[in-house]
Amino acid sequence: MNIAMIRYILGKVTMIVGVIMLIPCICSVWYREKEGIVYIITSLSLILFGFLISMLKPKNTTIYLKEGLVATSLSWIFMSIFGAIPLCLTGEIPGFIDALFESVSGFTTTGASILSDVEALSHTSLMWRSTTHLIGGMGVLVFLLAVIPTKGGSQVNLMKAESPGPTVGKLVPKLRQTAKILYLIYIGLVVLEIIFLLCGGYTLFESVNTAFATAGTGGFGIKNDSLGSFSLYGKWVVAVFMLLFGVNFNFYYFIIMRQFRKGFEMSEVRVYLAIIAVSTTIIAINIRHLYESLGLTITDSFFQVLTVMTTTGFSTTDFDLWPTTSKLIMFLLMFCGACAGSTGGGIKVSRFIIIIKTLKKEMNSLLHPKNIKKIQSDGKTIDHDTVRSVNVYFVAFTVIFVISSLIVSFEGYNLTTTLSAVTATINNIGPGFDAVGPTCNFGGFNILSKLVFVFDMLAGRLEIFPLLILFHPLLYKNIYASAKNDYIEPIRSK
Amino acid sequence: MSKNGLKIIIVGAGKIARTIVAQLVEEGHDLTIVDISYDVVEEFTQAYDCMGVVGNGATYATLKEAGIETADLFIAVTASDELNLLCCTIAKQFGDAATIARVRNPEYNREVGYLRDKLGLAMIINPELEASKEIARILFLPTALEINSFAHGHAELIKIRLPEGNMLDGKSIASLGKNITNDILICAVERNGDLVIPHGDFILQSGDIISFAATRKSCLSFLKMIGFNTKGVRDTIIVGGGIACYYLADQLLRSGIDVKIIESDTARCEELSELLPKATLINADATDKELLLEAGIHNAQAFVPLTGIDEENIVLSLYAREVSNAKLVTKITRITFSEVISRLDLGSVVYPKYITAEYILAYVRAKQATIGSNIETLYQLFDSRVEALEFSIHEGSAIIGVPLKELKLKKDVLIGFIYHKDTVIIPSGNDIIQEGDNVLIVTTHHGFTEIGDVLQ
Repeated sequence: MNIAMIRYILGKVTMIVGVIMLIPCICSVWYREKEGIVYIITSLSLILFGFLISMLKPKNTTIYLKEGLVATSLSWIFMSIFGAIPLCLTGEIPGFIDALFESVSGFTTTGASILSDVEALSHTSLMWRSTTHLIGGMGVLVFLLAVIPTKGGSQVNLMKAESPGPTVGKLVPKLRQTAKILYLIYIGLVVLEIIFLLCGGYTLFESVNTAFATAGTGGFGIKNDSLGSFSLYGKWVVAVFMLLFGVNFNFYYFIIMRQFRKGFEMSEVRVYLAIIAVSTTIIAINIRHLYESLGLTITDSFFQVLTVMTTTGFSTTDFDLWPTTSKLIMFLLMFCGACAGSTGGGIKVSRFIIIIKTLKKEMNSLLHPKNIKKIQSDGKTIDHDTVRSVNVYFVAFTVIFVISSLIVSFEGYNLTTTLSAVTATINNIGPGFDAVGPTCNFGGFNILSKLVFVFDMLAGRLEIFPLLILFHPLLYKNIYASAKNDYIEPIRSK
Repeated sequence: MSKNGLKIIIVGAGKIARTIVAQLVEEGHDLTIVDISYDVVEEFTQAYDCMGVVGNGATYATLKEAGIETADLFIAVTASDELNLLCCTIAKQFGDAATIARVRNPEYNREVGYLRDKLGLAMIINPELEASKEIARILFLPTALEINSFAHGHAELIKIRLPEGNMLDGKSIASLGKNITNDILICAVERNGDLVIPHGDFILQSGDIISFAATRKSCLSFLKMIGFNTKGVRDTIIVGGGIACYYLADQLLRSGIDVKIIESDTARCEELSELLPKATLINADATDKELLLEAGIHNAQAFVPLTGIDEENIVLSLYAREVSNAKLVTKITRITFSEVISRLDLGSVVYPKYITAEYILAYVRAKQATIGSNIETLYQLFDSRVEALEFSIHEGSAIIGVPLKELKLKKDVLIGFIYHKDTVIIPSGNDIIQEGDNVLIVTTHHGFTEIGDVLQ
């Protein structure tokens, strides 16, 4: 266990959190809000603290998979705690667990809130909530990889642990370059959305916050009715950008490289678009009678399908009032999630593609017991390890889902509320149904349930295993052994 | 060192690829590795900062995915000669990349020039041939552990181990220059696994492994002076009749050295006997002690295990060390445990993979360094911990015309010799480097690409 390297990464992550906390500080200067003082003090102390921790650069920078997983989950846990501090200190969210819930919800791009009156928050805190979405969407470690020079290839394990999807590949040979390209595409899209929203007559503050929340597929709104009061233009801009942020970012790289065919032949993107089209159509037909004009029907169904499928969680209407068929489709879409390699959460379209192909293969082998069939996607054979990891992921997901629901059920909410609350958090969506529906919030749950949600949100964002490994007893034996031996530096041939 | 790296595609994720990938990534090139096996590619992308593509490197689709259109260099090092040639031919059709293929089969080797011209290859590498050339050089001068030629054969870099009670034991390098000879230059000393680029006040000890640069003539006279035997061997036992064995035996027989080959496979023996009519072929298993004695290991002047199994080579060498005074040359294919192996007394150790890697690296560096001085050749010594680089000096370089003692060199950098108009100068502090010279630099730094890099 390379403890020195994990310490170094945690130090750097602390510094990054400190630096991005300067964004709400700028906002507080603009609006002359005194909350800014809390933010600037927290920010500076985080930068100093992170600097001190990471001052010594470890000699051995090798990160094996286990170090990658541990560093990732610890980074996210620390980041969430740091993010909660200013929310708590300004007194806007007095309870620390509540502040932690809000912070985790921000970083994991869930967008679930414990606040009933969002508009009561200062601009500074609203900005901070949106900023956590921005950094959480693409990932803090990917950001770290883009800014610090790395040596050797083992750092790819950090990206693997943080980026969503069954397989994580590089776009270009150099890891740092890959991380930079991803962030450039990401920031480029954010800027584009801000411009579009500004053109729609929204203020800079509204545009930036909404764009940040869309980018991370987060869903924190700055109004009590989320995006309900947005104009038709605004809703469509946000909907289209939700769609874009839910696409695998490899797609954009192919487009930039002018390999259009390769981009549009990505089966995951096609299936993703198909699911959106079909769901929108069915829901539009199903809810047609609730609306006067067809345009509004389509706008609302399209927007709601995207907000749930990409796991953003904005709302323009209370879909809790929709007919059962529509609600059920929404519920299923919550699990489906966006593409792998996007900023969205959920189980991911590509995993479902693999699962369904595995199912087909198993059915085939019932008919022909000696049948051998390799699972393929985009003309490439999917490695057996990948297939296995997808299946295991599915099982782990189900187990966590069941246990979480069980713990939350002791609170005595009805079945819909309990299940959808867990669904909405583990898939990083935000709103669920009934008591946690689009117009309600998570404020009513007790501390135990909130901690379960915090765990679920982190597990959902990091795709379970980085977090689960922290509970493995062997890990601690490992840490103990290497702490005792003071980590023997391997002999290098050079 | 933030020069733009080259885009390099390597097909075949084997041992050679491993050696060069590590080095090329460190030098800042963009690498893409192509192999048919998912597991191997996965292993590479985990260990090195490179991209992996799974697929057949001879297909257009795979090459396109690897980015052949924009690649600068294409290296095919799969296990099969034919596949390597095919990969390079196809790569040539779609891109503007320079291509390098590994070709080992002696039958193709006879047509190397033809193949290179017709297929437009930049380079054909043959690890077995290069290894056997190196072994032959050592057998011609058995006192040396390793011999590399420089400046197109005008000078050599020779590695020796100082035995107990040698007259150099306890002498400083400065006194060596004063009292014995000024014609050689000690470039690097390895002691107990540590490497030093020595200065004048460095005291030599017995057991040190010394690398020195000299011309052939001054080298022989120096070795004689310090009491080394400088005669070449007259007979050799080779174990294992592989490709390297063929190349080696061929060279030795041509220079009149008797060769005995022990090979366990009957068919291969027959084949070799046709190819090498003058060699003595013994069809037997060399791990049989009696047989080795019968073959005359006691009296052999040289013993070269060249089997495909490293462990067998090591054990055979250790045994030969026990029972005879023969000069030992051991071939090691896998480089993973080179630290451990270097601690064993195996005589000269030859790593064909290193030799191949050096050739490729030298080519890549030469290709990259288009401004300033160029690297002519590159040698990696002491398991690639030390590099010896030969630069040709072009107009405008900062080091032209300055006496060497006034140059501010980096730590662990040594100017080995200056090759000036067909004469080799072993430099002293007053010598100056002129335009058009070739200069040999010895250093523990990695990644130098032009002569300016040696300055602070």
